[in-house]
Amino acid sequence: MKIEIRGLNQIYPNGNHALKDINLELGTGMFGLLGPNGAGKSSLMRILVALMKPTSGVVLVDGMDIQKNREKLRFMLGYLPQDFRFFTSLKTWEFLDYSGSLAGMKNRKERKAEVDRLLDQVGLLEVRDRKANKLSGGMKRRLGIAQALIGNPRIIVVDEPTTGLDPDERIRFRNILSQLSRKEVIIILSTHIVGDISSTCQGMALLNKGEMVFNGSPENLVNQAEGHVFRMVLSPHEYDIVKEKYNVISTVPVETGWEVQIVSDDIPEFRATKVKPNIEDAYVYYMEHKLRTYITD
Amino acid sequence: MSFLHNAGTVAKYETVILRRSWFFRLFTIGSLVIFSFMNIGLFSPVGGQPWELISIPSTIPLINLYLLNIGQAIVVIFLAADFLRRDKKLDTNEVLYTRSMSNFEYVLGKTWGIIRLFLGLNIIILCIGLLMNIISKSISVDILSYLQYILIFTIPTIVFSLGLAFLLMSVIRNQAITFLILLGIAALDMFWFWYRAGSIFDYMAFGLPVYKSEVIGFDNVEGIIIQRLLFFFAGMAMVMGTVLIFKRLPQSKLHTSLAVLFLILSVSASVFCGYKIYTAVTNNYETRERVTETNREFENRIFPVLTDVSIELTHEGETIEAEAYLKITNDNGEPLETYLFSLNPSLTVNKITAQARDLEYKIYNHVIEVMPGKVLLPGMSDSLKIEYTGRINEAYCAPDFSGNLKDNINRIAMFNVSKRQYFLTDNYLLLTPETNWYPVASLNFYPANPARIKIDFTNYTLKVKSVKGLVAVSQGRREFDSAGYTFTPESPLTGLTLAMGNYRSDTIKVDSITYITHFFPGNDYYKKDLTELKDTLPNLISGIMRDLETSFSSDYPFKTLSLVEVPAQFYSYTRQSTQTRAEVQPSLILLPERLSSLENAGFGQRFKNQKKRMARNNQVITDKELQIRLFNDFMRENFISGTNTVYARNNNDESTYSEPSRYRLGPSFYFYRNNFHSSEFPVINAVFESHLQHLFQQGSRTGFLSMLGSLSEIDKANLILRTKSFSELLAENPKGDTVRVVLGVKGDWLFNLLRSEAGIEEFNKWFRKYCDENQFRSVDLMKFRSDVKQEFNFDFYPYLDKWFNGRQQPGFLFSGLRVSEIVVDERSRYQVSFTALNPEAVPGVFNISFRGEGPGRQGRPGAGGFSPQGPGSGQSFMQGRGMEASDIEKIVLLGPGETKMISIVTDVQPRAVVINTLFARNIPGEINMPVDNIIKSRRNQNSFTSDEKIIATSENGDPGEIIVDNEDPGFSSGADIVEAPLKRLFGITNRRSKSYMQVAQWNIPEYWQPVVQSSYYGKYVRSAVYKRTGSGDRPLTWSANITEPGYYDVYCYIGKSMERRRIRTDREGGQEGPVAREGEQEESRFKDHHYKVYHDDGVEEITVDYENAEAEWNNIGRYYLSKDTARVILSDQSSGRLVIGDAVKWVKVE
Repeated sequence: MKIEIRGLNQIYPNGNHALKDINLELGTGMFGLLGPNGAGKSSLMRILVALMKPTSGVVLVDGMDIQKNREKLRFMLGYLPQDFRFFTSLKTWEFLDYSGSLAGMKNRKERKAEVDRLLDQVGLLEVRDRKANKLSGGMKRRLGIAQALIGNPRIIVVDEPTTGLDPDERIRFRNILSQLSRKEVIIILSTHIVGDISSTCQGMALLNKGEMVFNGSPENLVNQAEGHVFRMVLSPHEYDIVKEKYNVISTVPVETGWEVQIVSDDIPEFRATKVKPNIEDAYVYYMEHKLRTYITD
Repeated sequence: MSFLHNAGTVAKYETVILRRSWFFRLFTIGSLVIFSFMNIGLFSPVGGQPWELISIPSTIPLINLYLLNIGQAIVVIFLAADFLRRDKKLDTNEVLYTRSMSNFEYVLGKTWGIIRLFLGLNIIILCIGLLMNIISKSISVDILSYLQYILIFTIPTIVFSLGLAFLLMSVIRNQAITFLILLGIAALDMFWFWYRAGSIFDYMAFGLPVYKSEVIGFDNVEGIIIQRLLFFFAGMAMVMGTVLIFKRLPQSKLHTSLAVLFLILSVSASVFCGYKIYTAVTNNYETRERVTETNREFENRIFPVLTDVSIELTHEGETIEAEAYLKITNDNGEPLETYLFSLNPSLTVNKITAQARDLEYKIYNHVIEVMPGKVLLPGMSDSLKIEYTGRINEAYCAPDFSGNLKDNINRIAMFNVSKRQYFLTDNYLLLTPETNWYPVASLNFYPANPARIKIDFTNYTLKVKSVKGLVAVSQGRREFDSAGYTFTPESPLTGLTLAMGNYRSDTIKVDSITYITHFFPGNDYYKKDLTELKDTLPNLISGIMRDLETSFSSDYPFKTLSLVEVPAQFYSYTRQSTQTRAEVQPSLILLPERLSSLENAGFGQRFKNQKKRMARNNQVITDKELQIRLFNDFMRENFISGTNTVYARNNNDESTYSEPSRYRLGPSFYFYRNNFHSSEFPVINAVFESHLQHLFQQGSRTGFLSMLGSLSEIDKANLILRTKSFSELLAENPKGDTVRVVLGVKGDWLFNLLRSEAGIEEFNKWFRKYCDENQFRSVDLMKFRSDVKQEFNFDFYPYLDKWFNGRQQPGFLFSGLRVSEIVVDERSRYQVSFTALNPEAVPGVFNISFRGEGPGRQGRPGAGGFSPQGPGSGQSFMQGRGMEASDIEKIVLLGPGETKMISIVTDVQPRAVVINTLFARNIPGEINMPVDNIIKSRRNQNSFTSDEKIIATSENGDPGEIIVDNEDPGFSSGADIVEAPLKRLFGITNRRSKSYMQVAQWNIPEYWQPVVQSSYYGKYVRSAVYKRTGSGDRPLTWSANITEPGYYDVYCYIGKSMERRRIRTDREGGQEGPVAREGEQEESRFKDHHYKVYHDDGVEEITVDYENAEAEWNNIGRYYLSKDTARVILSDQSSGRLVIGDAVKWVKVE
């Protein structure tokens, strides 16, 4: 199963060019869409789940144009939007039941079993009769993923799922997604939290201002930053100079001044040691340095 | 099937979500509480069980759903708009939007979810009503009506409200604006649209007549279905529109196509229904126009007199087939070349023959012109037969009424009921003369003279056959054989009525009159409720009839009196040509089924209530006595003296007035017995009828209307006649009670004129005899004129021209009242004398009576037996109405510019002289002149009662006096009232500010309202202005131009009603006797009045205590005024509830 995105453009009525000629191919497993706020991730997601029609371009699922086959697409879709809140007067199980029923599960008994199974999977079985307004933020997100999973969808689209979650809930959420990614499904995870990608995604794309600036595996992204991440210990005076000249990734106060990590194409003037980049370093290197260079060139 | 599954799923959870919303919960709990209490309070065995609501069982679901529907029509707006507002929070619903369902399924699911929630609530409320219905043994159960009213009220209202809310929210996407628009539409329906254009905008069925009869069911099934389908389909169209513009990418071409298809179908069906309603309204209008035009064409043509009519009629379901054998006479002064008849325009004439010869004829809408092929000379007779078949066109019956719901609104309890003039169904038939179901030799309406009427006293026979085997009821002796029913009335009638249905009958003969009740099976409940009356009934009926005969000074002219139960929707319009309604026919009264809308008809419940009340008050009464009382109350309230309050719309003016009960027996004593006609004064019969039947004697103003401040009818009439003549007014054909009140005043004037010259007793005696001699005969006014002239040597005819065509009114000024106690023939008597002046250019008549000792008004002798108000009611009560006129001491005819000294000797000490100025400029027309001083004379005196013409005294007052009344230019009540823009837009005018009223008990205006009372100051119009106590920002100002500087005494006038005056008995020589206060009085609503008197040295603030002030001019100080404008200001601040201002006087001190 694969999703092909060809020449996708989205221009809003106000002239905002949200997506610019996006071409992408996705296979089973988890795929991460990374980019800063306003990069066009949500627009792409909304097109993928047939909530929005692109200005031009097509999205094919196994060769099938989703805009012409919305009914079929929606049958194979599970979607968790960025700001998921469900009807406050519905109980946890009722909402899943509602979703399950609309996902085509007509048999009430089967639906009930599936609801309980999913609630158990996301750790909400104990609160199945609790109304939405009594759930914590993490519980709501888990319920959100549960409703996205009901009906065995083959494409799962999750938009910024970990935003606002505490670290425990975030890890828990990543684990759920990791488990899912082992199945024959395509999971598209949109996030601006780099950590979500590194821990779960096999492939990823980087969006910036509507353009896809990177498409590959997270390792590829990290490799591109290899040799461009430096650590150095600076006096306050030096720190001021470095701050002006380089992209500072992290700053840690030490006895003599500041321990600073930067990304740079060149070796800095100050005493610097190369460090192995992680995906966050790579993301910064890519977004702040390489892209700037690319645009300047 | 996935459609049903998906839509069902959405519906299910929409229902759950809404059911759990606080708004719906509040509404549900509130509804359950209110409707439980209402049903228990109204329908349970422990409840009030008002007869209007329990007499017909379908009223229980009707009232429940009618009221609930108003609430839910508004609540559904909030809930529907809320649903889309929720959907606007995209992230919440996007998880649903990404599911595989079509917009069609989603929106329909939402719609069904809300509908079924409300249906559930409706069913629960109906179950409460049904439970009360079942446990209340006195109410039968009409289970079908529960379903019918859900279909009529709930479904179309909710579908339309939802559709509109969905569509508006989808288009506007602003909840607040959508709410405002939707609530505005709901309010417009309830206050503006409900009666307009055949209820084409009444989506709630707020005004739609859906009252259900037990006899015929709904009277207009097709109309109701179409009206409700209009809104159902309009709602569905808007739901489909919402599907199509829903902000979600569609996924099913089939469903989108279906939505388009249903949209087209719904719009088409809705437009079709709207068109049907529109065409029904326009057809109705066009029929009326056509009838009026045809009448206009023929109103000056001469018609024969119908002397004998024999009808053979077959009832064939929704049509009739008939043959009418007519015998006519030409009583016109000229030969007849063609015979003119009227027949309902929906009846088709098949053949007209005479002596087996076909006659030529032409049809002009409803007028048949027959060419007999010969000339019928005056006084000659002819016969012919008309064969016809068809249905009845209802719009024909009252062509001068629009058919609008609000024109003469017909309500039972709070429900609008159709105004059906006839019934012609498989199982029931009712045809009154007003439908012209047989040919008559007259027009049903004369456009140039709406008060004109042609009455033929005709000998009828009627043969009726029903293919359905229904029982026929009509006037006269009834015989039944295999050919059907034959009716032979014993005396000539003015019209024939036929009813056919599943009738049962009871008969009782009392004093040679046979009383027959024709009722539907099971509707003779009153027999069970009034079991104790069995033996007494003949006596009771006899007593009532004797009272009536005494009151009308005439015997009941027929041998039978039938009371016929007819469907509740039967209604008759008022007519200008007669005060008689179609409910009362010669020797027959048509009563609503189960007496549903009649006063005091719920005998069983009333018996229980009164028994309980009496037990509480330790009163002892036997069951029989109580049942006699209930029976008498019922008879008097409905057939003798009761009134109905009418809420009427007259052009844009809406008014409330009272009219006589539609079932009064009065017409039997004049209208169906005697007739006076005049080509010159076509209104004459209506005038005679109005006076002689004294229909509004007791019903002139009910206490309720009086408390609202309504004027008396004589005052209303005289105000109307200020600007137009009687004939001009009639030609305008105004609606409401205008013509009725004017007819009353004009009739009173005419008969008082006759009595003034002939003598009261002498005229009455002669006239009674005259009517008896001319029973069932039409009398030409010229003959009456010559007979009066011969008997009394008085020709009233010269007065009639000005009476009918003149615009001028007489006006009376009274002064110099003097009452002396004198000794005549060794007996103390009282001589009352005063001066009366008529400065106007036309003659006037007024009558005089006395109010004697004791509280309140003395009972009216002779006709007082039926007065619902009784003595001391304080109501305006115009003496000199009706045949008795025995309350009048004297009637005075005063020529133009004439002054007379009036003198009357009476045996009873008068407390007040009450003058009825009849047709005059005087407002109020009833003038109370309190007798404050009685001069005692010990000497024997010769009494004199003759009037003495004296030289006219000057109308002008003292030259040293300047009086500014509230009617004068020097008076100002502040800025004119500015009507709100919305009121202006909708043409709502503030009537109270423009016309005179009386001081009301409640609903007191916040502006200065002109009010009239005979104790107020004024020349002809004795008026003042009053308002609710204010903050002092709306003062009254009296201004006068001072031409001579000097000291002036300033007075303010305080007018008090009789009840608030002090009585003094002055001895001869002016010695003041003890001051006597009347009995207990309620606290005055008028207290301190604060005047500011402007003078040369500044402003003087004077407080006048209304309670202790004299009922006349009260001095508020002496001030120096130089040549300038003098001013007195009255503040609207007071510690009392009301403030009143009348007149101010400046008197130069010599």
